[in-house]
Order: sequence, then structure tokens, then C-alpha cells
Amino acid sequence: MSREQILAHLRTSLTANRPWLQAEAERMPHEPPPFALPAQDDLVGQFVAELVKLEGKAYRVVSADEALAIIDRLIEETQATSVIGWDLDQIGLPGLPELLAARGITPAKADVRGEGRKARLQALEPIPLCLSGVELAIAESGTLLLRHGPGKPRLASLLAPCHIAIVFHSQLVRGLGEALALLTQRYGDNIFGPTSNLTFITGPSRTADIEMTLSLGIHGPPQLHVIVVEG
Amino acid sequence: MPQTIAFYDRVDHALHDSSLQTALHRATSRFIGNRASAISALGDADRLRDQARAIRAHALAHLDELLPQLAANVEARGGHVCWASDGEEARQYIIELAHARGVRSIVKSKSMASEEIHLNEALEAAGFEVIETDLGEYIIQLAGETPSHIIAPAIHKTREQVSELFQQHLGMPPTTEVPLMIRTARQALRQRFLQADMGISGVNFGVADSGAIVIVENEGNARLSTTVPRIHVAIMGIERIVARLADLGVMLQVLARSATGQKLSVYTSLISGPARPGEEDGPEEFHLVLLDNGRSQILGGQYAESLLCIRCGACLNACPVYQAIGGHAYGSVYSGPIGAILTPLLQPDLPDAHLLPQASSLCGACQEVCPVRIAIPDMLLRHRADAVKAGKVNPVEKVAIAGYTLTMTHPAIYNAGGKAGRFFSRILARKGHFRRLPPPLHLWTKQRDFPALPPKSFRELWAERKNQRRSSS
Ligand code: SF4
Repeated sequence: MSREQILAHLRTSLTANRPWLQAEAERMPHEPPPFALPAQDDLVGQFVAELVKLEGKAYRVVSADEALAIIDRLIEETQATSVIGWDLDQIGLPGLPELLAARGITPAKADVRGEGRKARLQALEPIPLCLSGVELAIAESGTLLLRHGPGKPRLASLLAPCHIAIVFHSQLVRGLGEALALLTQRYGDNIFGPTSNLTFITGPSRTADIEMTLSLGIHGPPQLHVIVVEG
Repeated sequence: MPQTIAFYDRVDHALHDSSLQTALHRATSRFIGNRASAISALGDADRLRDQARAIRAHALAHLDELLPQLAANVEARGGHVCWASDGEEARQYIIELAHARGVRSIVKSKSMASEEIHLNEALEAAGFEVIETDLGEYIIQLAGETPSHIIAPAIHKTREQVSELFQQHLGMPPTTEVPLMIRTARQALRQRFLQADMGISGVNFGVADSGAIVIVENEGNARLSTTVPRIHVAIMGIERIVARLADLGVMLQVLARSATGQKLSVYTSLISGPARPGEEDGPEEFHLVLLDNGRSQILGGQYAESLLCIRCGACLNACPVYQAIGGHAYGSVYSGPIGAILTPLLQPDLPDAHLLPQASSLCGACQEVCPVRIAIPDMLLRHRADAVKAGKVNPVEKVAIAGYTLTMTHPAIYNAGGKAGRFFSRILARKGHFRRLPPPLHLWTKQRDFPALPPKSFRELWAERKNQRRSSS
């Protein structure tokens, strides 16, 4: 009933104001620019510089082995015995399953559904490391785009205090407009078919709510490590 | 009128609260600086803002089609939609849902719409535990206050005050180290998330063609609120819609830049319905509450343009009145210049609502920074005119305005008045300012210094100048 009432009000209101709103709407094309800042030649360099400005850590590596060495070091530093992560084949870094096995780490499945939901969350909470891939990365803002879904839980970039994300060179785009266009090109109108959630991540969790003092990690991971694999 | 005094009292109080003044100055100037540098780094900021305005205007022009489209797409993804004509219907829906699902504890991420309908009070009265999880909101909830700024709700608190609250409520050892305070809050709130049965969020944009809602934030509390509990309820003002996913390519950039000077906010979540069958996490139920509460009527009137607002907060930071008095003095959910327009429309029962449009010097700074270029000063003037028509203007002002009209239309009176004023200026003013004018003008100087009049008037200076020019050439 309220639905019909609201819609009826809207229609009445729009008979008065639709013309000028429509005129305002037509003043500009709506298509977003593919990117908003002057184009730079070195996309990886731009991405890394942006992320570093946001207090994220960024690494340029030319081989999977180099990437594995960084992950190994972070496992050591966080003393992780488990990780909350994507399915390893969805991350797609060669040698990653072997590295984790050698370290005695079994990735925890998020699996927070149904009756055992709260107990499962408590069990995941102490895990110090999140490990994920990305759908795309945006150079001009230092942004990761994660398309969640089966094998790609949301908690794998959210729960633990340290998040490692693997980005391949081919996944980099220049700007937000380009990223959205690519999503539509890939999935058409089924972007949200198999998943309920897309998340853009631009740097580590931050707040300035106490006297405008910038602090990291109030809720999401205070540490964000992005390893960009070139070549 | 006692209500009238209440508003002026709040302003007076705010102006004499020295820690509020320090906090406001620190915060608003920081915001302005960040925004300015982000905008100047952006090659074509003007074009993006023009696009943002066009996109929002299109959404409003087609609201009657886009809302049903959004609702249908949400339902097709397994979500539920509640159409709420007013706050009462929205509150009732959420409370009934929470009862039916055996909910005990609720976590909330920042939502102005839920403030607008006083949802927390209603949920608490119905016996639910409600925790605000945005750090700023959490701080003011602990303090038992209301937000003072759209983007930075605890802008008015100093670190010493926050430390005291955390010591008292969270058992934190005495410290004013911000990182330590942050860690304390993270731990306390994390447990709240893990134990919550329901998460309630606001909505920055509803995307009609995708059936998705967009939530923009920096902390991650909205991600946790919408991922961890088994039920997610999102509350959205019906005007907060865009037609297409691609529109976000413009809107997210102008929002982040105008709000906090970031290129993009840290987390932007696009959420479409509950978790799908193969997904390992995410809520099992998703409910979208579409809140009208007067908006469908505003759309038909002379304030329709205010519905373009994307709640970025830039006009608050730019406003000299807001910089001086902060958000609480407005006494309403929405503060600052846009709050002065929205409040008389959305909260017309608020006794002081008609006074808020007076809290502006009409300097135009708000319109200049607005990412969708809303003509805020024009609408403030219209509100003032409406208040006069409705007989709500105070008598001193009427006399003053009548006097002003008389003076400005009669040059002789203007000149004579100016001369007399300048004479008293020299005698009464200190350091170039009157602290207090004689009655009835003392009401004006109660909250402002009145600049002493210069020794010579503009007209006199101009005449002198002309003479000098003539004699030197
Ligand atoms: S009126 Fe404009 S500047 Fe003010 S909050 Fe709304 S969008 Fe931002």
C-alpha cells in the first residue's frame, strides 16, 4: 500500500518538476571518463606510488618466486599458523600451495553459515593473516577491486590485521571508469549473479575520528600488502 | 517564544565552548585543505561535477521508474524490500523483523536516514541492544550525544574527552595516545560484531539497473556490519538512487573527493541481496528499507533541488557559520547549510526548524564546493521568505529590515545614518569591533562581534579618490 502511495506522490511531484530535472540531466553526457587524472606511462609505478601514499605496502616483483619470498616473510612476521584466504587456485600464484604446505599452514575455509555461524566467527578471529587475489586493480587511485563469491570470501580481506593481495600486471587498469566498463564487458548483466558483493579497497582501514589524527586499522586490516607480479 | 531562545542559546553555548571551538577549527580547516588539494589534483574536476549533477538530476527525473526497478532487482536476487512512507513504518518493519528472527544484539554503521527516524531509540525501547560501530558514532554513543557532522560525527570531541570515555566504559588505562585508543576500540567493537544477530547500514547510492546498494566508508565497520551478522538491513532515502552501474564511475569520485579529499574512500561495497548459495560468508537475509518521509512531496516543490544532495559534507566544512558553531547548535539531524534547507522540510515539527535558514551569511561558499552544484543560498533565501510569509519572523528583525529598506532607498538618510554610526564607532568600539551593540541590536552582537564602521564611508573615499585623480592628471 505504501508502495503505491509513494509512487503516486512521485508521479504527481514529477509532473511539476520533471521538465527542469530532465533539462539538467541532459546538460552533460553521463558516461564516466575511463580515468580522471593525466595518463602516466608506467601503470605499475603509478599504482605503487598511490598505494604507498595511503600507507599501504606495495611490492613490484618480476617472478612468482619473488612474490612467494615476500609472503614467506610475512608469514614469519605474523607467526601465522593459518590464513583466511581465497581458494588458492583462484589467487593463481604458482607455488603458493606448496609454500603454505611447507610452512604447515592449512588455509581456513570461511564457512560462516547456518547454525554454527557465531562459533565459526570466533574460531576465525585469532587468525593473523588474510590472503586474496583481485579482480582488477586501479592505477590512478591505488585501488583493488575484489569480486567476491564462491571460493572468494569477503572475510579474506577484512577480518585479520594483515591482508596480502596478489595482483598480476594484466589486471591493472588506469581508472575507475575503465574498471566498471571492463566488469560489464566480462559479466554483462550477471555481475551479481554468483556473488552478493563487490568491494573496492583503497589502502588500509583508516579513521580520523579522534581529533582528525590519522590512525590505521580501526576495523579492517591496518596492514595492506599488495604484491604486483610483472612479466 | 521559548523555542526561539533555545536555538540562540545553543549557538551562544557553542561559541563559548572553548574545546568545541578548538576541535571545530582543527577539523574543518583540515577537511577544507584535503578537499582543495584533491580537487586541484584532478584534471577535470569541473566536468566531473557537472556530470554528477546531470546523473543525479536524471535519477530524480525518473524516480518513479527507477525505484520500482531497484526494488524488483533486489527481490530477484533474493532480497526483501520495505516501502516506508514515514519513519513509523520503517521502524515498525525493522522492529517486527528483529522480533520475528529472535535478534538480541544489533550493530549499526553510520546512517543519516536512521538518525532521521530516531531508529536507535525505538530499537532500544523495544529491548534490543544497539551498538554504533563507526568510531565517531561510537564515541558519541558512549557520551550519550548526537552526531555533529555528516562525515565526522565526533568532530567536537577532544582526545582527552575521548580518553576519559574509553577509560570509563572500556576499562582503558589512562592515556591520550591515539593508536592505543584505536586498539582499545577495535577490540571492544570486534566482539560486538561477532556476537551481533543483525547489522543495520545506510546507503550512499542505490543502483537501479543492478539491484545493488553502495556503501562508502573508510573504517571497515560497514563491511563488518553487512558481512558478519546473519541479517543485513539497509535504510535508504528514496532519492539516493542512480540509474546505472556506470554512473558510479562519476559519483564515487566526486563523493570521496568532496567529503574527505580522497581519490576514493577506503572501502566501497556494492551489495546485491543476501549471500548466494555457494558463498562462504555474507548475510543470509537482506532487507532494503526505502524511506520516503516527505521526500516524494519535496520533489514536487521549490526545494526539489535539495534532493540532489549526496551527503558529502563539503558545504558544512566550507560554511563560516558551521565553522563557528558546529553541528549541535542546529539541534537537528542534518546540520550545516544543507541541513538548514532539509530540516524545515524533513523535520517540520522541530520548533526551531524555521530559524536554521537564518544561520547563514549567504556568502555562497557552500554552493561553490557542492559536488552537485546545489543552489543552497537561493533555497535558504526562499526558506526565509516562507518564514516571513508564515509570520514566523521575530519583531526586531522586521524593524531592522524595514529600516534597511528605508535607508537603502533614501540616500540622504543613508549618509546621515552612516555619519552618526561612524561617530559612535570611534567612541564605543574596541580594537575595531563592537562587543555589544545597544538594544535592540544587542541580539545581533550576542553571538557576533560587529565590525566598527571605518572612519570614512565608501562614498566619501570614492569622492576623494575621484578628486585626487582629477588633480593629479
Ligand atoms: S549540499 Fe552539496 S556539498 Fe552539501 S552535503 Fe549535499 S552534496 Fe555535499
